[in-house]
Amino acid sequence: KSTILFSGWLTVSTCNLSRQRYDVIVVGGGHAGTEAAAAAARVGAETLLVTQKIQTIGALSCNPSLGGVGKGHLVREVDALDGLCGRAGDWAGINFSVLNRSKGPAVWGLRAQLDRQRYREFIQAELLSTPRLKVLEGSVEELLVSDPNPAEPGRHRVTGIRLANGSQPISASSVVLTTGTFLSGSLFVGRTSSPGGRIGDAPSSSGLTQTLRDQLGLRVGRLRTGTPPRLLKDSVDLSLAKLHPPDRQPTPFSFMNTQTRCKPEEQLPCYLTYTTPGVERVVRESLHLNCHIQQDAKGPRYCPSIESRVLRFPGRSHQVWLEPEGLTSDLLYPQGLSMTMPPDVQLRLIREIPPLHRAEIHTPGYGVQYDYVCPTQLSPALQVKNTQGLFLAGQINGTTGYEEAAAQGLWAGVNAARRALSQPPAALSRTESYIGVLVDDLVSRGVTEPYRMFTSRAEFRTSLRPDNADLRLTMKGFELGCVSAVRHHEAVRVRCSLQNAIAALQALTMSSTSWRKKLPGISMSENKNQTLSGMDLLEYKDVSFEMLASVFPECLSPYMEFSQRLKIEAVYKPHNDQNRSEIKRIQSEENMSLPQDIDYFTLPVSLSQEVREILDRFRPTTLGAATRLQGMTPAAIANLFNYVHFTRSKLNHTTVSFSLEDL
Amino acid sequence: FTKGQCCLTTVSCLFSPALVLAGLADADTIFALSSGHGRCGVAVVRISGSAAATALRCMVGLGNQLPPPRTALLRSITDPHSKEVLDRGLVLWFPAPHSFTGEDSVEFHIHGGPAVITAVLQALGSVPGMRPADAGEFTRRAFHAGKLDLTEVEGLGDLIHAETEAQRRQALRQMSGELGRLYQNWSHRLKRTLAHVEAFIDFSEDELIEEGVLDQVDISVCDLQAEIEQHLKDERRGERLRSGVHVVITGATNAGKSSLLNTLCQRPAAIVSPIAGTTRDVVESALDIGGFPVLLSDTAGLRDSPDLVEQEGVRRARERVQQADLTLLVVDSTILPSEEQEAAALLLEHLRSVLSSQDQCLLVLNKTDLLPEAQREKLNLGLRRVSGLPPVCLISCQTNEGLKDFLTVLQSSVKTMCGDPLSGAPTLTQARHRAHLQHCVAALAQYRRYRNSDLALAAEGVRLALTSLGRITGRVGAEEILDIIFKDFCIGK
Repeated sequence: KSTILFSGWLTVSTCNLSRQRYDVIVVGGGHAGTEAAAAAARVGAETLLVTQKIQTIGALSCNPSLGGVGKGHLVREVDALDGLCGRAGDWAGINFSVLNRSKGPAVWGLRAQLDRQRYREFIQAELLSTPRLKVLEGSVEELLVSDPNPAEPGRHRVTGIRLANGSQPISASSVVLTTGTFLSGSLFVGRTSSPGGRIGDAPSSSGLTQTLRDQLGLRVGRLRTGTPPRLLKDSVDLSLAKLHPPDRQPTPFSFMNTQTRCKPEEQLPCYLTYTTPGVERVVRESLHLNCHIQQDAKGPRYCPSIESRVLRFPGRSHQVWLEPEGLTSDLLYPQGLSMTMPPDVQLRLIREIPPLHRAEIHTPGYGVQYDYVCPTQLSPALQVKNTQGLFLAGQINGTTGYEEAAAQGLWAGVNAARRALSQPPAALSRTESYIGVLVDDLVSRGVTEPYRMFTSRAEFRTSLRPDNADLRLTMKGFELGCVSAVRHHEAVRVRCSLQNAIAALQALTMSSTSWRKKLPGISMSENKNQTLSGMDLLEYKDVSFEMLASVFPECLSPYMEFSQRLKIEAVYKPHNDQNRSEIKRIQSEENMSLPQDIDYFTLPVSLSQEVREILDRFRPTTLGAATRLQGMTPAAIANLFNYVHFTRSKLNHTTVSFSLEDL
Repeated sequence: FTKGQCCLTTVSCLFSPALVLAGLADADTIFALSSGHGRCGVAVVRISGSAAATALRCMVGLGNQLPPPRTALLRSITDPHSKEVLDRGLVLWFPAPHSFTGEDSVEFHIHGGPAVITAVLQALGSVPGMRPADAGEFTRRAFHAGKLDLTEVEGLGDLIHAETEAQRRQALRQMSGELGRLYQNWSHRLKRTLAHVEAFIDFSEDELIEEGVLDQVDISVCDLQAEIEQHLKDERRGERLRSGVHVVITGATNAGKSSLLNTLCQRPAAIVSPIAGTTRDVVESALDIGGFPVLLSDTAGLRDSPDLVEQEGVRRARERVQQADLTLLVVDSTILPSEEQEAAALLLEHLRSVLSSQDQCLLVLNKTDLLPEAQREKLNLGLRRVSGLPPVCLISCQTNEGLKDFLTVLQSSVKTMCGDPLSGAPTLTQARHRAHLQHCVAALAQYRRYRNSDLALAAEGVRLALTSLGRITGRVGAEEILDIIFKDFCIGK
């Protein structure tokens, strides 16, 4: 099994366009854009990535970290589909920890602090060495839109892009927009605001917003976010903060890595400190100087600015994490101090925190407000429903977070490529992946605030674990074409070994009395004559696979490599067995597609006007999505099903495309 | 439904949406009283699903053999745990796919008394893997199995609609009572408890600084489990589910509503006087009309009154009307215009001000003894021809004139409703609540079992508990839980 291989820093230059036509064009080089471009190219599409600055490809605009609870799940899934961010995290990580260690493997949160420089290097090197992928520096002036292909649903069709420098248009079958906070983005510091999506970068063209809003008629909303000031490390008195060491043994994100680039002993610690009443005072005194906080665009409730934290929960001290920005960086990132007041007030505020009493600010914090496209206008393939070939991913869809962006980027890239290659769209169920939960939540329910992944959003949390993302997704990804043969081969090997190991454990059956003799010291509640298998035993809290293997070395020792995964499988197996039928039901509802060209207002079916309006507004793509819409009634679902089922099959003179069992 | 083969009702939806936090599975084995409600000699309880054979084996002494398919056997039906004999009746076994639903099915034909039915349904609810059927679920399963033809399927949506309407009324009725408040309180506490567990999981060490979140959860899980268990043990107290068809008498003051109640009860259950506004609170009386149970309520006369007590009476009256299965709108016939068209217009306007359009209603014109004979005839014939009016009965509570005809009309309305299983058998409702509460308690035990070893599995227990309770009180979505989290905690690093 390979450890990380990295060929070194490749020279980045604007490539010469070898062609004026691509299968897929990806606009934007952030977490969504890079995954989208790489995935599209892996699937087999000739792909062009257009970004304003090649240098900022793979930049971590906000926190220097990856993963966390729910987010780590997404990173694992992106990795299982051969995406970049997991391997990049293993390459760039300088502080690894598994959160929630004591709360059960289903909710373990793999997380790492990253070296910004290394992360960017890795992503850029990966992209520049990906076959079929070209990278172009430039600003997109407009989307080229034409009449739709009448054979498919949709009112428009995207045919390519035009760059700002007035050069020839570049055409493509699919375009993926991953413009992040740059869509009508404004930056806020104190009372001043300026156009832009990230400090130091030019604002993107207003032509793009116009096309989306005016020409394609897409509904957009406005969201806000913010980032803290960056501090000079030398000016911070870390002895006054609490040292928080990383895990002694780093856990890699990627299924392809057995170790991280950073050696365990090279890891850098984080530090924890708290706000003081002085912080609250400065916030209150400077409210009139802070126009970002006075705006009514919705910000994230779970990553609030220090202003919203002290205003919503006054009189408390709030956590502030001081995080390293890289092995050689002389900056510190104060996680929890996102703020938008004028720079001089920011300095006054941070100096109210003991370890920061003499701190210097390198770059002030700022707020960003930006447009997002209401994601209910997208299909589960992340394609705009009314525009053939136009895909959106990342913050443009109202999400927040690198991992959420990466997951959507990968999924949009796969589907953009499949469209360009005349393959049907791929679907991921919410019963099999967090990516499926994310996409389904976005397209069926929409967002009212920046959307972040939580494990509580997943109905089948005990099945969708970080440890088994490869079993859930890698084979499927291989069929979709986005997983390499090497990774596929490894996943198949793992699956076979786990299956054999479980079979071996299940074949080890003995009475509980005999087990007690074999494993003294294990307290078993089962009565004497009950027969238990090795798998049953492994479910016990204080039984490990190693213990069983030491008793039965001949049949279990071949599987020592998987001891932890086997233990986890044993613990969750009874619950997952219970969930299976419910999962099957949801999957079959998700498999029943509703035609996208239905005119719900004239549909000759008994539906209330209210239900017709809901269906018309959200245009659910499957019956499953329709059941999750607010305001849908069971009767409406039944009538809809009847219509689709019978009318359609009559029209097509073909057999019904789903069995009756599907309902 | 065409074959009369729909199951009895529940509050929850037919197509349980995926938003349900880990719901009870489709492959559950379901059971329901499949014969109509009301007094009957024989009741049919139907079971469908993979555990039907298990239920049959553990409730009927058959040795290890299943009975021959589709053959009636006379057997004792026993409680699977206490082994107490519940009834002696016919047992039929329909192995898949030759059954109504296409699944393994069992029918018990038992005696029709409420005690027997309740006992059998409760016993079934205690068999692992079994739960009471949701609205239309037998039909839906039959549909899955391709057992229904197109015309039958087309009626499915309407059937579900009718069922959900009846359930909505029933739920409203229960939820405004003492029992409803109890369930809502549990549901509210359980939601908060789940939100706190989820917060503890999703906002880990580095984001959440509140101490002792889980200790609070432990306490509330413990309390809830104890309270629900206590409630399950104490069957009678608190379960004030009122049986039968709810008939509510309403109308303007001094129309003779209380006189009608007394006439129907054949006793002076309510005080009657010529003073308008005599009845200020709801007066209830349980009746037997043509063999069907009826709960008759007399309510305060509808008028704007400065008197606070009377205002409250009027509010209660309106609430009762909303929850009624059938409303008797009593009108003083002497105040009606003599011209029948004008009278009809006035009545229609009156109806609109009291009832919503879907409500079942009878129009009772009282005090006909004070009308001239000719006027009486004119109204009687004239109003029948007016479209949009509910059935009209002319009576005099003073002389009992027209009472017999009125009773016939009332009885046939009640009969229609009772024959229609949708109006909800209280025994079934109780059994359904009981089963869901039992699931809830079991799920809470799962929390405690995994509390220290695996919080994800422990949280699964609380999710399941809330889903079970949600089947009585309504669904709870993930967003609602997140809202509670953000309200209760200061989150963010």
